[in-house]
Amino acid sequence: MRLLVLLLSLCAALPLSAADTPPDLAPLRKWLAGQASVRTVQADFTQTRSFHALRDPIASPGRIAFSAPRSFRWELGDPPRTVVLRQGDTFYLIQPQKKRAERRSAADLGREAAGGAMPMMDFPFAKDFDDFNRRFEVLGVSTEGTRCHVEMLPRDPQMRKLLTAARIDFDTDSGHLLSFEFVTRDGSSLRNDFTNVRLNAKIEPGRFDYDFTGYDVVDAKP
Amino acid sequence: MPSHSRALGWRRAVLGAALLAFVALGVAHISFNVDILKLLPGNLRQVQGLSRFLQHFAQRDELIITVEAPTPEVAERTADEIAARLNGLPLLVRQAVARPPWETHPAQLSEIIAFLALNQPPEKAREIAARLSPERAPQTLRETVGRMGDSMSPQEIGLLGYDPFDLVGSAAGSLLGADQPQSEFASADGKFRVVYVKSAVLFDNYNRTIQWIADIHHATGRWPGGDGITIGYTGEPAIVASISQSMQSDMQSSGVVTLLVIAFIFWFCYRRFRPLLELQAMLVLIFALTLAIAGWFSGQLTAIGVGCSAILIGLSVDYGYFVYQRAQGFGGSVRDLQRQCVRYIAWTAGTTAAAFFALNVSSLPGLSQLGNLVGVGVVVGALVMLGVFAPLAWRRAQREGEHPPTGVQRLVVSPRFHRVGAWATGAVVLLCLAALAWKGWPGADFAAKPMRPRHSEAYETLDRMALALTDQVDPLSLVVEGGDVDTVLDRLRATEGQLAAAQKRGDIRSFRSALAVWPVTANQRANLPVLGKLAADLPRLRQNVRDAGFRDEAFALTENVLRQWAAWVDRPAPIWPDNEVSQWIFRRVARHDDGRWYALGIVQPAMGREKALDRDVTGEGIYLTGWNLLTAELKRTIPREFGRAIVGIIGILLLLLALAFRDWRSLALFVAATTLVFVCLTGAMALLGLSWNVFNLAALLLLIGTGTDYSILLLLALRRNGGDVPAARRELFLVVCLCAGSASAGFGTISWANHAGLASLGQTCALGLLIDAAISVFLLPLAWTWLHRSRASVNGSPAPPPPGPTRLGSKIP
Repeated sequence: MRLLVLLLSLCAALPLSAADTPPDLAPLRKWLAGQASVRTVQADFTQTRSFHALRDPIASPGRIAFSAPRSFRWELGDPPRTVVLRQGDTFYLIQPQKKRAERRSAADLGREAAGGAMPMMDFPFAKDFDDFNRRFEVLGVSTEGTRCHVEMLPRDPQMRKLLTAARIDFDTDSGHLLSFEFVTRDGSSLRNDFTNVRLNAKIEPGRFDYDFTGYDVVDAKP
Repeated sequence: MPSHSRALGWRRAVLGAALLAFVALGVAHISFNVDILKLLPGNLRQVQGLSRFLQHFAQRDELIITVEAPTPEVAERTADEIAARLNGLPLLVRQAVARPPWETHPAQLSEIIAFLALNQPPEKAREIAARLSPERAPQTLRETVGRMGDSMSPQEIGLLGYDPFDLVGSAAGSLLGADQPQSEFASADGKFRVVYVKSAVLFDNYNRTIQWIADIHHATGRWPGGDGITIGYTGEPAIVASISQSMQSDMQSSGVVTLLVIAFIFWFCYRRFRPLLELQAMLVLIFALTLAIAGWFSGQLTAIGVGCSAILIGLSVDYGYFVYQRAQGFGGSVRDLQRQCVRYIAWTAGTTAAAFFALNVSSLPGLSQLGNLVGVGVVVGALVMLGVFAPLAWRRAQREGEHPPTGVQRLVVSPRFHRVGAWATGAVVLLCLAALAWKGWPGADFAAKPMRPRHSEAYETLDRMALALTDQVDPLSLVVEGGDVDTVLDRLRATEGQLAAAQKRGDIRSFRSALAVWPVTANQRANLPVLGKLAADLPRLRQNVRDAGFRDEAFALTENVLRQWAAWVDRPAPIWPDNEVSQWIFRRVARHDDGRWYALGIVQPAMGREKALDRDVTGEGIYLTGWNLLTAELKRTIPREFGRAIVGIIGILLLLLALAFRDWRSLALFVAATTLVFVCLTGAMALLGLSWNVFNLAALLLLIGTGTDYSILLLLALRRNGGDVPAARRELFLVVCLCAGSASAGFGTISWANHAGLASLGQTCALGLLIDAAISVFLLPLAWTWLHRSRASVNGSPAPPPPGPTRLGSKIP
C-alpha cells in the first residue's frame, strides 16, 4: 500500500541541497538534552494538511498531552475526530464518531513506524541526541531570534522513499516545540504548529484514560 | 595389393568413418540437465510439486543480478545504472528491471485495480456503482476529504488524494495492504538491490546460456569490487550456466585424472610404454562410444550421470589388464586368446553391468542414468578390449617375447609382503571398528544439500538474496493446478479452507494463496454490465471531483479504472489483466502453460509443523511443497527402497554362490568378508565424518556388484588350487590390486566433483572398494586357512603349487 501511495503520487524527487559546511548542531543538542528533564507536556496545536491533489489545505485544531515515560494522548479535531492514546505498551487509535478503536502493541507500532506508518505518534522525538542522530540526518540548522529551525530527513530508507523533507522548530529559550512538518515526494505536507505549550505542569487525572463503553475495540492486524 | 585386401581396407575405412560420425553426432546430442529434481524419484508427491513450481514459476529466462553496496543510495544508483546499460543491449536483453514497473508506469496500476474490483462478489460491485451514482458521489467525496484530514495513516492519507472514490480500498485493500519494509527489489535497509534481466536470447542449449551469462558479465563488468560494491548473479540462467560448466569440468577432469592414475598404476607394475598408450587409447574409445550411445538414446546428462566417465574408465581397464596379462607369452592364435579371455571377461563384465543396471530399481532417475551409462559402457568396454585391444596385445607379445617380472611383480608374491599386508589390513579393520564403537553409525542427511553443487556462486547469491529480501524462514510453496480457470478456482477455495483451519490449529503462521487475484468467472460476468457502463458518467464524476476541491490529477485513477471496465465489456470471461505491470505481478502468481493453469501461493508454517501440513493441505492438483517436506519424504522412502533392493540383490547373489561353491564354508567366508567390508566402510565413514544421503546409499549396491568380485575370485582361486594360499595369491593378487586401484581411482576422482551427491558417491565407493580389496587379498586367505585347518590336518597338507613358473593371472579360467 505504501508503495502504491508513492507511485500514485507520480512523484518527482526534490533535489536536496548538500550543505558545504556541517550544520551547527549545538542548539539541537542543547534542546534535546533539555528534553530529559521534561516529565509532562501539554499543548494545543493546529494541524495543516496540504495535498497536491486538493486545491485548499485542511486545517484542524488539536491537543496533545504527554507524561513520561509512556503516557500519551493526541486529539485531532474539536470535538475530537481522531484520538491516539498510549497506555503503557498499548496504543489505541480511536475514532469517536464511529465508536471504533484499534488496539496495537508498542512493538507492532515500532515495526510499522520503521516502515513509515503513523509517524505522528512518534513522541517525543528522541530520548537524546544520539537517539535522534540514529534516526534522523540533520541537513541544516538555522536560528532566528529564539526560533531554531532544523531541516532533516529520516535515516530509514523506507521513510526516505516517502519524504523529501522533515522540519522541526523549537524555542531555544523555553525549549518549547513550536512546529514540526514533513513533506512527501508529491509535494503534500503535514504541519503541526503548537501553542499554549506547558512543560512539567500537572496533568488532570484521567487524561490518559478513555471510556470505551459502546466502542468496537479491535486488535489491529500486525 | 590383392583385391580382397583392398576391399578389406575400404570396409575398414568406411567402418571407421561411420564410427567417427556416430561418435561425433552422438556426443553433439549431449547436454546437461541441471534440474536437481531430475535426480529424484518422479513418483514422490513433493518432487512432483517442486517440479511444477520450478517449471512454471522459476522464470527460466530471467537472470537476477544482485547489488550489495555500503549505502542504500549507492546500491540504488548502481542497480539503475546496470539496468540502463543492459536495456541498451537489445540483442542481448529483452528487459532489465531495477525497480517495480509500477514506479515507472504508475498509471498502469489502474488495470489491476479494475480487475480486482471486477472480480469481487456482485454486491460489492453494486456498492461501488452506488458510491459513484449522481445521488451519492458528492457525499462520497466529502467523506474522502474528511478522512484525508483525520486519518493517522500516511498510506491512507496519500492514497485518498489520488483515489477520491476509494476504488483501491474496496477492491484491493487486502491485497495491497501488506507493508513489508523489503520488496522483491530491495532489502529493508536498501543496501541490497536486485535487477531482473530477461534474456533476448533463446536458451536452446547450455553453451548458449553460458555464453549469454559471459556477455552479461562483460556488460556489467565495471562494478565488481569497486567502491565496496558486490555484484552477484543468480536465477535460472546463472544456475544453469554455473552448474553446466562445473558438470562439464567434473566430467573432463575426473576422466583425465582417472586415465593418468591408471597410466601410473600400469607403468608402476609393468614398466611398458607402448602397451600403456594402446590401453589408454582403448579407454578413450570406450568412453567416446558410450557417450555417443548416451547422446543418441538419452541426450541429457544429469549431475550424477557425468560421474560415468571416471567410473567407466576405472572399470573397463580391468578387462584390458586381463587381456594384456594373458597375451604375455601366449602360444596360441589371436582367436584362441580372445576365446580364453571371453570366459572371464563375460563373467565379470556381466556381473558388473548387471550391478549397475540394477540401479534402475532405485527409482532415482539420476542413479538410473548413471547405472545405464556405466552398464552400457562396461559392455562396450568388454567388446573393445576383446575385439580391438586383444589383437594389438597379442601382436605386441608375439613381437617382443616374454619380459622378466618387474620388481612389483616379484614383491607381491613374497610371503613377507603378505604378512605385513595382513597386519596392516587388520589394523585398519580394528581402527574402523573402534571408530564405529566410539562415534556410532554415520548420520543420514536427506536434505537438499547433497543435491546441490558444493560451490556455486549462483546458489550462494540466491541464498544471500533470500536472506535479504524475505523475513520468512523456509516458506512452503502452494502450487494449485487444473485444466481450466474454474477448476483451479475451486481448488484454491478448497485449499483456502484447509489453510485457514491449519492456521486456526497453529500449524501455519501466515499464508497467501492466489485466490485473491484468481479470476472468478461468474463474478466477472455479473459485474461487467454494472461497472462497464460507469464510464458513461465520466464527465459528471470529473465535475463532482472538482466541486469537492480536488485538482484534476486526483481523477486520473478513477478515469482509467472506469475506462478499463468499459474496454472489457465485450471481452469474454474470464478476463486477465495483461499490461506490463499486471504481467509483472502475475508472473509469480498465475501461469498458463501447455493448456493447463497453475496458481502459486506461499505458506509460512509454524516451527516443526510442516509434516502436519503435508497431511492436511492436500487434494487433486494441490501441491504444498518445500525442501523440508521433500527431505522428510526422501527420508521416509529412500532407505526403505534401497533396503529392499539390497536385500533382493544379496539374496540372488547368495543363491548363485551357493550353486557355484557347493560348500557352506566358502559361502560363510563370503558372507563374513562382505559383512566385514560393510561394517568397516561404515566405521571409516564415521571416522571421516561422512554421512549417508540419497546418492551414496547407491554405493552399497555398487559394492555388492563390483567389490564382491574380489572375494569371490579369491575363494574360487583357493578352491581351484586345493586351498594353496600362495598359489591363489600368485594367480590373482596383482590383478585384483590393479582392478581395485583403477576402480577406486575412477570413483575417487569424482570425490572432488562439484555436485555434492556425486562426490559422496565417489568417496563412499572408492573407500568401500579399497577396503573390500584389502580384506579379500590379505585377510580372506587367512580365514580360509583357519576354517579349513581341521580338515587339512585330517586329509594332509594342502596341494602343492603347480610345478613350473607361474605368471600372474595365468591360472584364471
